Amino acid sequence: MPEPILSVKALKKRFGGLLALSDVSFSVTEGEIFGVIGPNGAGKTTLFSCLVGSLSPTSGSILFRGREIAGLPNYAVVARGLVRTHQIARPFRDMTVEANVSIGAHFGAGHRRGADARRRVAEILERTGLGERAGSLAMALPIGDLKRLEIARALATEPAVLCLDEVMGGLNPSEIVAAMSLIRAIRDSGLTVLMIEHHVHAVAGVTDRVLVLNFGEMIAEGVPKDVLRNPKVVAAYLGDDAGDA
Amino acid sequence: MMTFPRVAAAVFGVLALAAPLMLERGTLNDVWSLAFAVILASAWNLLGGFAGQVSLGYSAFLGIGAYATVLLSLNGMNPFLTLPLGAVLAAAFSVLIGLPAFRLRGPYFTIATIGVGEVVRVCASSVSFTGGSSGLRMPPGSFDFTLNYLSMVALAIAVVALAAFVKRSAFGQALAAIRQDIDAAESLGIDSTRFKLLAHALSAALVAVAGGLYAINFQYIAPGSVFDFRLSLSIVLMPIVGGVGTIAGPVLGALVFSTLQVKLLSIPALRDSYLFLYGTLLIVVMLFEPKGILGLVRRVLHRRLRRFYADA
Repeated sequence: MPEPILSVKALKKRFGGLLALSDVSFSVTEGEIFGVIGPNGAGKTTLFSCLVGSLSPTSGSILFRGREIAGLPNYAVVARGLVRTHQIARPFRDMTVEANVSIGAHFGAGHRRGADARRRVAEILERTGLGERAGSLAMALPIGDLKRLEIARALATEPAVLCLDEVMGGLNPSEIVAAMSLIRAIRDSGLTVLMIEHHVHAVAGVTDRVLVLNFGEMIAEGVPKDVLRNPKVVAAYLGDDAGDA
Repeated sequence: MMTFPRVAAAVFGVLALAAPLMLERGTLNDVWSLAFAVILASAWNLLGGFAGQVSLGYSAFLGIGAYATVLLSLNGMNPFLTLPLGAVLAAAFSVLIGLPAFRLRGPYFTIATIGVGEVVRVCASSVSFTGGSSGLRMPPGSFDFTLNYLSMVALAIAVVALAAFVKRSAFGQALAAIRQDIDAAESLGIDSTRFKLLAHALSAALVAVAGGLYAINFQYIAPGSVFDFRLSLSIVLMPIVGGVGTIAGPVLGALVFSTLQVKLLSIPALRDSYLFLYGTLLIVVMLFEPKGILGLVRRVLHRRLRRFYADA
């Protein structure tokens, strides 16, 4: 078994009286597409926030490429090659699409400048299907393009692990198919992908392994077709009665 | 590329520098005041406009620069050689207060900076080496108005050019990202605290040099003049009225402000009313044209051009 690129142990996050994550442990292998699913409020986004350091975990360990990153600030985690997208797109609204992506190229792990950065940005815009939108202001983009912009900006930071927070939410069926092939292409280019997703078909279609969270606890982990049939997972999504039936 | 605003700025700069050959002392005094206001507004804009961190404590940096110049000159230093020392001192102080203050966001940061400015003023009026509330006089020596004038105008031109350079640089892009969404900026690798501290230090240093030049020209400073809260307020009002976050906006705001002040100060009954007038102007700008005078000018020009092309 190869050394995991990301290894989370006994991760806990408490907000006052609420235990948003309790004792979450899992490992992700390099080159995997790893899904994180669970009902609303299960702690999926909190998990991503703790991984990248926009929230500081209450306790636990996060080993990334063999080094502890728990508690590091967000920008320092990005510099080491772990980046996330936001569930609700957060573009720099007054900047063009190109300028948005160049922020990632300038200040991410690559620290590219000048012509080198411009080349890289153009290449990413092409890959994510935003080439023709390069000059538009971010505030003028429709939802599908905003989701792509989130991915493009994160890719521009040159990560080893990309955490996607519901990039398919709000997309229509053909856009979902396009997004799935984009995610596969990203993995095939050498990245490891973590993705939070609600869309069950997307999860089943693209992920290698899945972790299921419910009320901050891990209730299942494994290959998607087993996990999605697990009675505990069905119960979490549909209610206890469905699980008993 | 030589665009119209750049040509206009270059011509204006050259004219301002050549003015001592053509204009009389009174007018030169007005241009000196304008240059002073341009420096304060444009330097504040680096942090307040580009990075969106509205500080109401900038009189502290002006005062530090002014006091550094007078105190060091009293100890025998050449007044102009004290300027870089004042700048370093103000930059260091800006980091000292920025470290805790930048943990706060939005209005909370602004309120903290009001406190800082007031604390510095009270300290300056109560310790002995600053001469307390009665202030300090520069040592008697050669007073050369033309030199003072040229220094202030040259600094104003340099600050505006620097602001234009910063806005186009990667540094300026990071500040814009911080202004628009600080969490998104951090999530793309921007160490927001470091960039805010850098912008703060740069603008504090520039304001301190202006403060030193102010002391050299007026020969006398007191906490009530250089650490005044109304001064901090004016520094914020100029870029906001002119067009916050732009290059020309703070210059326009400074022009409006120094003109108003010169005109109103000459009418005794209206001496203290310029802030009232400026406050009113601020409310009007906020309500009707949040992008300031520059935003209004651009909109009108845009409409004219569109009509022109529609007719053609």
